[in-house]
Amino acid sequence: MRIIGPDYLVFGVDDLEGSKTYLKDFGLKPVQLDDTGWLYEALDGTGVIIRPKSDPSLPAPLETKNMLRQQIYGVEDAGALDEIEAEMSKDRRVTRLSDGSLEFKDDLGFELRFQVTIRRELSMPAEKINAPGAPAQRAPNELGVTDDMAALPRSLSHVVLFVPDMDKVVRFFCDRLGFVVTDVLTGAGPFLRPQANDDHHTHFFIRTPAYMQGCEHLAFHMGGPTELMVAGDRFVRKGYQSFWGPGRHKFGSNWFWYFNSPLGVHFEYDADMDKHDDSWVAREAPNGPEASQIFLLQWREKWAPSGGPEGGSGA
Amino acid sequence: MSAGQLRLCHRDDIPEGAARGFLPLPDAPRNVIVVNRGGQLHAYMDSCPHYRGGTPMAWRKDAYLDAEGAHIACHAHGALFDIETGACVSGPCLGRKLTRVPLSEAPDGSISVPAQVAGRAARES
Repeated sequence: MRIIGPDYLVFGVDDLEGSKTYLKDFGLKPVQLDDTGWLYEALDGTGVIIRPKSDPSLPAPLETKNMLRQQIYGVEDAGALDEIEAEMSKDRRVTRLSDGSLEFKDDLGFELRFQVTIRRELSMPAEKINAPGAPAQRAPNELGVTDDMAALPRSLSHVVLFVPDMDKVVRFFCDRLGFVVTDVLTGAGPFLRPQANDDHHTHFFIRTPAYMQGCEHLAFHMGGPTELMVAGDRFVRKGYQSFWGPGRHKFGSNWFWYFNSPLGVHFEYDADMDKHDDSWVAREAPNGPEASQIFLLQWREKWAPSGGPEGGSGA
Repeated sequence: MSAGQLRLCHRDDIPEGAARGFLPLPDAPRNVIVVNRGGQLHAYMDSCPHYRGGTPMAWRKDAYLDAEGAHIACHAHGALFDIETGACVSGPCLGRKLTRVPLSEAPDGSISVPAQVAGRAARES
């Protein structure tokens, strides 16, 4: 099944104005959808949709307080939708909307929608680096950083869900929707990618009690580690709360930086994720600090060594 | 201010119904959250008991309450805590509590906390 990955994640929020400010400051572009809904989009058009939690146009909430209301996935073409409809109609109600998209619930009660993807093709360079022994990636006089450099989320990368029944959710995504497991953090859960996406993961599942079911975090791809750190640094300076990072994960090799949010989930900047094909054999490692990252750093105020040897200000 | 105490703020710095976070010392690992509810001040470590070691809870500077101002909220995973008791009433750390910080108020309205708070990152078990 030619599923690409998440186009939109839909939230019913407590604090609409706070959420709007947060998403804009995170680097997403606001698009008003109607009287009560806003899309905050990355450069390729994927993103986050928010509405007040009482909005009747939202799918029903989870039984937990989690604000995630629907995951909207993009597929390559109408044929993929037909295939999904045929498979899902075997054992559940599938609603075909007027635009051709499909709505149904997964085996744990998460609300899903599948549509022909809305993502726009991006044509932008990745972060370029120079290193001895390799051809220079930047031309002479082309600078690596500037104060006003752009550092905007390019694409919705992945969603991480707290799930009470791991076997059920993995069977659903792999056996019914054709996802493959790329790696497993034992004790937490597996990373998955769909057939039409070579990213290491569009999904990660974490086993939790039922009262926690919901979204743990979502992530946006940045143009490289420098963009990730520039965006995160700017976000901290606006008063937002770092949760974990910056650092670099082992599984997926992606750089990461997570922030708290008024949507009750973490928002992650990620960059430079591994790509895989069907010849990849999933690895397994026990979940914990060692397996989670190759290194972990923490933001601090700008500082420079200056002043005299005795620690004077040098002023 | 007596010895062994660190001044956080003046009582008037926290309006009724509001919460603010203060670093007790510039290099302290965690903020102390002070909430004004009905004129009474309650203080807790900014350290959600969901994960070992605790994690910071606001989504933006001083954004410690839920949208209605009814609970202290952890904006990592949506846990809600009772303002008066610090007990988790909803979310991933049900059955656990925030670490309460004793406040001292001087006659001039200065609010201070015990100095050891500045070295305390983890919740007390």
